Amino acid sequence: MTADMLLETHGLVKHYGRVQAVRGIDLAVHRGEVFGFLGPNGSGKTTTIRCILGLLRPTAGRISAFGLDPIRDGVAVRRRLAYVPGELRLPDRISGRNLVEIIAGMRGGVDARRCDELAGRLQVDLRRNLHDLSTGNRRKVALLLAFLADADLLVLDEPTNGLDPLMQREFLELVREARAAGRTVFLSSHVLSEVQRVADRVVVLRAGVAIASGTVAELRGRARQHIDVWFAGPPPEAALRALPGIEGADMDGRRFTGVLTGSIQPLLRVLADSPVESMQVQEPDLEEAFLDLYAERA
Amino acid sequence: MIRSVVGAPFGAVRRSTFWWSIGLAALVAVTIAFWPVFRGSSGVSEAIDQLPGAVVQAFGLENFGTPAGFLRGNLYEFLVPLLMAIAAVALVNGQTASDEINGRLELFLAQPVDRRLLFLGRAAAALLAVAIITLITLAVQFGSSALFGLVIDSSLVTSTIVLCGLLAALHGAFAFALAAATARPSAVLGLGIGVAIVGYLLVALFPLSDVLEPLSHLSPWDWAFGGDPLVEPTETWRYLALAMPTLVLLAVGTIVVVHRDIASA
Repeated sequence: MTADMLLETHGLVKHYGRVQAVRGIDLAVHRGEVFGFLGPNGSGKTTTIRCILGLLRPTAGRISAFGLDPIRDGVAVRRRLAYVPGELRLPDRISGRNLVEIIAGMRGGVDARRCDELAGRLQVDLRRNLHDLSTGNRRKVALLLAFLADADLLVLDEPTNGLDPLMQREFLELVREARAAGRTVFLSSHVLSEVQRVADRVVVLRAGVAIASGTVAELRGRARQHIDVWFAGPPPEAALRALPGIEGADMDGRRFTGVLTGSIQPLLRVLADSPVESMQVQEPDLEEAFLDLYAERA
Repeated sequence: MIRSVVGAPFGAVRRSTFWWSIGLAALVAVTIAFWPVFRGSSGVSEAIDQLPGAVVQAFGLENFGTPAGFLRGNLYEFLVPLLMAIAAVALVNGQTASDEINGRLELFLAQPVDRRLLFLGRAAAALLAVAIITLITLAVQFGSSALFGLVIDSSLVTSTIVLCGLLAALHGAFAFALAAATARPSAVLGLGIGVAIVGYLLVALFPLSDVLEPLSHLSPWDWAFGGDPLVEPTETWRYLALAMPTLVLLAVGTIVVVHRDIASA
């Protein structure tokens, strides 16, 4: 494990009886980055996270968090880590403030001023009984606890479930601030839009296997772009049809449409010598990249 | 740390502790309220004398017209110890297996606390609740005895109710060991209560058979009440016979809980 590596898994496997939830995942999370952990429900994200926390014992493979083994050195690992569970269940008959005090007792104290600041930003009333809070407000309490902890690594599993769009934006701001403060964020989600807005690198899971990894830009680059060009004069039809990575090329009068995978440079070179009237390239979002990856592996 | 690990779960069982205490207190008070009816009534004693000796023995109805016989037959032979054992099993189950399977432990298990300490703290909170229920039962027993003129040696009553509490703690510890090993709340509840009932049947029915009688001594109910604690001072070994396996079962649970996966919601 290198100095800037905070978390690594090698060939992580987890079976529940006959169910193979995770089938050999390799991860490398660097210090100070926002690491997007993407995949649909049931792809193995939560199982991987629970192995990292030491709640599950891997069937095979190895995990190193801060250079430690989460099973053997669970307390030391969790001292440097804060976690928001995906399936969030909080105690019923206590207030948010009580819960903060309980967690503070386990973590050796919290910064009361920071707690109040976070409560204000997340717009959550810690005096209220947790039982009386909505799903979104309970989620805010859990987020408050995670951002309040003096932890090097924030592990957030589906953290925006139940949050309204305004709060989702505040959450992303908190993530950016955590990164700016040198903290590492492990952001597990199936909500692609929030990951692509904040993640430095992404790993995509499907059926317990990592099917792609890279920066958000790299994943987008691997996705197909929809090309729509209108020509003022005769179009360079043969050159367009011969473009590397072009599919579904269609010439309708002076309009060319197609789907391009890979670099857009060859297309731009062809168009540079042609009478282009207008052009539209629909930039792929991560969702498209995501679906393409699934299609490739299916 | 202890406040978070024991204090917080104890706070969570306060309401259950209150209701269990109310239930047992009502049972004890209402039962003793009828003592004046039975006191000195030869009719009831004569009716019981008509029953087969085995039945009288099985249901603890000997000397029903005396304070010790009345309390034993109505409360401390079966009902109070069983209810307290059920309370212990239910409280431990709620704090461990049930909370785990419902995902309520997830956030706490993700904190820098040893899993063994977290589970043990929850068992301790539940057993503390059992201790409080025991004390309240004892207090209500004394109050009701004074109110309704049931005269009996207070040290004997105290021993009996403490034995009930220790028997309950033993069943709670058994539930804890099961919860630590399996995290299956229905199994913990079913087996915990089942063991309490089987334990009672061993001491109630097996002595009726010469062949099976020796097996009755395997029951914790025999260790607790075999010396007739409302009549005779309880030997020290009986307290230890209940306390030691309780500690062993708590230790077993603490050891095994780290060797399995935490169940998810």
